[in-house]
Amino acid sequence: MIVVENICKTHLGRPVLENVSLTIEEGTNLGLIGPGGAGKTLLLKIICGLVKPDSGTVTINGVDIHKLSATELAELRFQIGMLFQNYALFDFMNVFDNIAFPLRQEGKLSEDDIEKLVRKALLDISLPKIGDRFPNELSGGMKKRVSFARAIIRQPPILFYDDPTAGLDPVTSSKIYLLLRAMQQERGTTAVTISHDIDGIKDICDVFCMIDRGQIIFHGDRNAIERCEIPLVMQFWRGFSDDDLDG
Amino acid sequence: MSANPSSTIETNSEPAPDSRFRNLLASFGAPFLEIGRTVLGIAEVFRLTLYYLVRGRKRWSAILEQMHDVGNRSVIFITVTLGFLGMILIYQAGNQALRITGDLQMLGGLFLQLLLREFAPTIAAMMIATRVATGMAAQIGSMVVTEQVDALQMCAAQPVDYLVVPRFIATTIMMVILTIYAAFVSYIAGAITAYLSFGLNVRTFIDLSFIGWFDINIGLAKALAYGMAIPIIACHAGLNVFGGSEGVGRATTQAVVNASLAVVILDFIISGLGYVIQSIF
Amino acid sequence: MTSMADNKPMQKTASKFMRLLAFIGKHFNDWASEIGGLCLLTWQIFLNLLPWRWQFDGPETWRNLYQVGVKSFPIVVVTAILTGAIMVIQSGLYIEQYGAYGLLGWGAGYTILREIGPILIGLMFSGRVGANNTAELGTMKVTDQIDALRALAIDPIGYLVMPRFLAMVIMLFLLVVIGDFTALIGGAITSQFLLGVNMKLFAASVIAYVTLDDLFHGLIKAFIFGCAIAVISCHFGLSTKGGAVGVGRAVNASVVGSAIAIFLIDYLIAFIIN
Repeated sequence: MIVVENICKTHLGRPVLENVSLTIEEGTNLGLIGPGGAGKTLLLKIICGLVKPDSGTVTINGVDIHKLSATELAELRFQIGMLFQNYALFDFMNVFDNIAFPLRQEGKLSEDDIEKLVRKALLDISLPKIGDRFPNELSGGMKKRVSFARAIIRQPPILFYDDPTAGLDPVTSSKIYLLLRAMQQERGTTAVTISHDIDGIKDICDVFCMIDRGQIIFHGDRNAIERCEIPLVMQFWRGFSDDDLDG
Repeated sequence: MSANPSSTIETNSEPAPDSRFRNLLASFGAPFLEIGRTVLGIAEVFRLTLYYLVRGRKRWSAILEQMHDVGNRSVIFITVTLGFLGMILIYQAGNQALRITGDLQMLGGLFLQLLLREFAPTIAAMMIATRVATGMAAQIGSMVVTEQVDALQMCAAQPVDYLVVPRFIATTIMMVILTIYAAFVSYIAGAITAYLSFGLNVRTFIDLSFIGWFDINIGLAKALAYGMAIPIIACHAGLNVFGGSEGVGRATTQAVVNASLAVVILDFIISGLGYVIQSIF
Repeated sequence: MTSMADNKPMQKTASKFMRLLAFIGKHFNDWASEIGGLCLLTWQIFLNLLPWRWQFDGPETWRNLYQVGVKSFPIVVVTAILTGAIMVIQSGLYIEQYGAYGLLGWGAGYTILREIGPILIGLMFSGRVGANNTAELGTMKVTDQIDALRALAIDPIGYLVMPRFLAMVIMLFLLVVIGDFTALIGGAITSQFLLGVNMKLFAASVIAYVTLDDLFHGLIKAFIFGCAIAVISCHFGLSTKGGAVGVGRAVNASVVGSAIAIFLIDYLIAFIIN
């Protein structure tokens, strides 16, 4: 269970997140939506401990992650997988080493076992032949899938997806969503998904949360969001504007 | 407001000069704050590097790769620049010596001494600061911009451990080797120039009688200090990038400026210390 | 895939040689294209400098003069003071040995004005201004701003390159003038406090032995270094490609190129003038 309490963060003197509180139950997938620049990615980076908030706490399974030392935080991160917005594949390693990196870093498995797991992961993302290619030789969709494989290779109980389908064509997007859903059903992971593609995440997320200008303006399950009367949420959910709401 | 006229005056008319004075002070203070922040940041990276140097795993393949990057790929650059430096210095010094004393016997010996004490380590380090520091800052900076450093952290790898330590070890080792190489190249270029321009015999030029352990030690001390400072400064600049390609450009500039300045400052400190030590003994 | 596997042994012997050839050829090609690009840019700048084609953007030039001059002033002064100090320490080691204190000003002054001053300030300038310039132009290039300028019928040479070129040439010249004198001051202070040689003796020695020729020799260099750094940094900035990584690579190439140019030109000038 992830509990976020009263997170505040300013960037260059401008408040980006104001008093954000949020609870993510075990085994649920939270869909984080909101307009661009609302602070979604920043919130995600605070939740996984990459960015320190100005105030507030984040507790993952009862541990306040911003109070941990670097080594303890690294230990905790064996439990977390993350899919980055811009793939964030290491461009100095080939695809195989990229996917194997989290396992090698953990140092528990032998090289043979790692090889087996990575081969299986490559098969799972249906790109079995690209192991010795480098990230800059891949298309956007392939990079996204490799990045996904790297995120889940340790089979972490907690997963964060930052815009898993940004800039991808509909076919590749649906492949990614299939992978995501399979992950959810097989292992019952706790997840947070940031997305702009409402139709895509409608079916894979259980709870939705909408952020606008650094504040949470909606938090609830699918029934609640469909009945929600807040104009910006309605506009976002249904993908049209019935009256002048811009600005 | 009207109940307290003095405060109205204060709030209405005073702020103008006051804030101007404040702005003046702020514009004086800002660079110092900036320098302070940078120095603290560099010290922090240095502390972490030493910590992981002792505690972390050694990744020999990464270190070798960096050594190749720092050393082998700088050889041509160092050869060209330090070769020209040797030619220039001998040419100028020879002309002066001819004008003033008319005697070139000591040229080679003194040149070698000066090369070891000053020019080989410092100019080679300036070259490494331009070539290697910009490269490191650019590489790490673009890793930060493309979230690769975040990804490293999420894979439970410490960026300083993973990125800085191999560069630190590699640059420190290669800096010493390159300094020796630089002295060698410069000296040979100088010998050729002395032969071609002044007809000075190469045997006369190669004169090891002037140099002692002091010269060698001071040259190596400088090379070691530069070799440790340059990667730390470059990686600090790279790790603190924010904002796309503009940020990477800013970081590379910062890296080369800070690294070159560090070389000059360390040169001053070590030369000064060397002078003091030599005058004591 | 299969055809590659078939002629593997033959390929192995051939490929080693081929790879060497390809390596040499590629590097040669790269160098040639960079040098060609530099020549082209120099020619274009030269054309823009001709009196009847005198073409550059006024306000941009002022802005660049400020940016280049004022922003690199502190670092040049710091470098110069320390350089002066270092040169005095280095000559001091000999001066002490032979007891020729009257020659301290000559030893330090001559090397500073003629060689080390222009070279070190030039290297610093290429790091501070040249790298910055490449980064700025490179960012504009990778974000398509240069194409946008062309689309607005604004000549990138006149609008971007000329102001930077003028600013860098003028400012490096002035900075070396300032740097020479601060270096001598730094040297005088060091000689007083570290070596115990009176400042007056140092100054007298500078005046007696260092000629105006030495100063001019350094200033000519400063002028040509300025031209070289400006052309090189603008060229590498304008030929940047490939996002943030490309900008970093361009800056790297620019400072390396400038450093090589500085030493090469320094040697040529010393050779030609004498």
